[in-house]
Amino acid sequence: MAISKFKTIITVAKKELTDHMRDKRTTLLVLLLSIAMGPAILMGLGYFMSSIEQKFEKKEVFVQGETNSPALVNFMQRQDMTIKQPKPDFRALIKEGKHDAVLVIPENFSQKLVEGDAKVELVYDDTRQDTGNAAISVLRGVMRGFNQEVAAQRLTARGVSSAILRPVEVENTNLGTAAQRAAALLFIIPWITLIGCVTGCTSMAVDLGAGERERGSLEPLLMTPIAREALVLGKALAVSLYAFGIAILTLLGFALTLKFGNLPNIGGVISLSLQQYVVFFAMLATFAPAMALVQILLSTYGRTFKEGQTYAAYAIQVIALLPVVALLGQFKDATWQLFVPVLAQLMVITRILRGESVEVMHYLIPAAINITIFVVCVVIIGRLLKQEKIIFGRA
Amino acid sequence: MIAVKNLHKSFKVADKTVTAVDDVSFIAPSSAITGLLGPNGAGKTTSIRMIGSLVEIGGGSVTIDDIDVAKNPDAAREKCGILTDARGLYTRLTARENIRYYAELRGIESVKSEATIARFVEWLDMKDIMDRRSEGFSQGERMKVAIIRALVHEPSTVILDEPTNGLDVMTTRALRSLIQRLKAEGRTVMFSSHIMQEVAALCDSIIIIAKGRITAEGTTDALLQMSGKDNLEDAFVALAGIDDEQHNMKAA
Repeated sequence: MAISKFKTIITVAKKELTDHMRDKRTTLLVLLLSIAMGPAILMGLGYFMSSIEQKFEKKEVFVQGETNSPALVNFMQRQDMTIKQPKPDFRALIKEGKHDAVLVIPENFSQKLVEGDAKVELVYDDTRQDTGNAAISVLRGVMRGFNQEVAAQRLTARGVSSAILRPVEVENTNLGTAAQRAAALLFIIPWITLIGCVTGCTSMAVDLGAGERERGSLEPLLMTPIAREALVLGKALAVSLYAFGIAILTLLGFALTLKFGNLPNIGGVISLSLQQYVVFFAMLATFAPAMALVQILLSTYGRTFKEGQTYAAYAIQVIALLPVVALLGQFKDATWQLFVPVLAQLMVITRILRGESVEVMHYLIPAAINITIFVVCVVIIGRLLKQEKIIFGRA
Repeated sequence: MIAVKNLHKSFKVADKTVTAVDDVSFIAPSSAITGLLGPNGAGKTTSIRMIGSLVEIGGGSVTIDDIDVAKNPDAAREKCGILTDARGLYTRLTARENIRYYAELRGIESVKSEATIARFVEWLDMKDIMDRRSEGFSQGERMKVAIIRALVHEPSTVILDEPTNGLDVMTTRALRSLIQRLKAEGRTVMFSSHIMQEVAALCDSIIIIAKGRITAEGTTDALLQMSGKDNLEDAFVALAGIDDEQHNMKAA
């Protein structure tokens, strides 16, 4: 009686999925975290971006002694700035990181300005990264502009061109669109999503590898006349379907948040079409199963579930750290990145989010690499399951 | 029928070659129960694993109903139902689901497998636990499920490695009765055990194995006579001893 390999694959996949889904606590946690990932990242990102934008766009400046220099105040008002009165104890508050930088104009400022000996005080604490950095640069910009204007006026009054102050004229041409500037932070989305897709599959992957042996169910399984490759493919199918589920839920989380989440900052930057969602999913849909298979393979070497989990954890660490390397190395989107799992997904998904063009090779190359990893893992696991030291655990 | 001829197996352990099975030959006929008796580390489990083609045969040959295990392992696996000491169940599945999984893997039609399962469930008196998840099963309950799982394809040859280890009296009795029924159905039954009374009560012939070699074989009476002892335990101690005089002793 020849047992059809296809039937074996389906039987194994069905059993593994049923078995795993009954671990309700783990499954629920993974599924909830998957769907919650989108809203959590987008809202966090939205809040962060809006707090930065607000500080720059509102152009709110704290000035003490504004009546001491009508000229400077007038200059600020012409720059559309809102002048606010600092709190009385602002020095202590700045030290505590509770107050933005303050420009202090002394009483005799106007007179000193005429005499050419004017001073203002800029009060800030640059060790506080959380608040005030935007305010400092705004105030510095104001003073630079004011200085230039006063100098230019004085030179003009003496019949000298103000151009003498600028031997080199710098013309600012920023090629980045507004969306791109804001999108500098968007790599966080694929980064967290990729880690989520990999960690979501860990418990199932390790159970299929090391768990099977620790439980003592591998030996009887291998005494049935089923093909080892069919057994591995069945497990791979189960974990892949699970990974697809995680990927779909993750995307659903993103889609719903973008559609209904009232996030003005994000909405202006990310606006995904159905086609872009499909490419996003396609990136995850080959990546997640490939990484799940890598985890099964690693855990197959583990004698116990715990040992298998440790090996998988190291793999996840590498996956989580790769984007940091890319970030520190300031990789521009290069073709070679398409051949490195994680970096490829990071690059392509970020391009989608930035609204940049995605070419066919951008998803074909990573998909081909992931499918290769998947197949190689299936073959290696199939072979390992024929080795006595793997079946019975290394002595 | 299991026919084992000049079976050999050695392993490499830390640069040393350890011989686990050394020139073992025996025949376990159909409609009979053959007992495999030996101290720990004697080579019983390795022999059983080779018969079940889970471990590569190092030398010699094994045939099950004239099928060469080395040449045609899958056909041999279809003939064989083996219970080794790895008896793990999937704890989130019910007893029935655990057994059905194996029936499906072996490609057995559900009508046929359900009938087989029902018969064994009756024999082992385990109706109450069949639809319970196997998490928290007692050792005896786990053993019963593992046995049906190994027999769900109605194999002609049944090999049980120390099946009564750690079981209570009632489960042991149920298991002994099952072994006798399997024999009555015309199957080849082979089992290994440490419990002398059990072997004496059940087996048609006994093979004593020590340090990878067969030191004696025959019926209980023949072994008693050979050793000059009046009980099987003493006979086993004497026959499993590895002094040179007894090394190649075999019953006629």
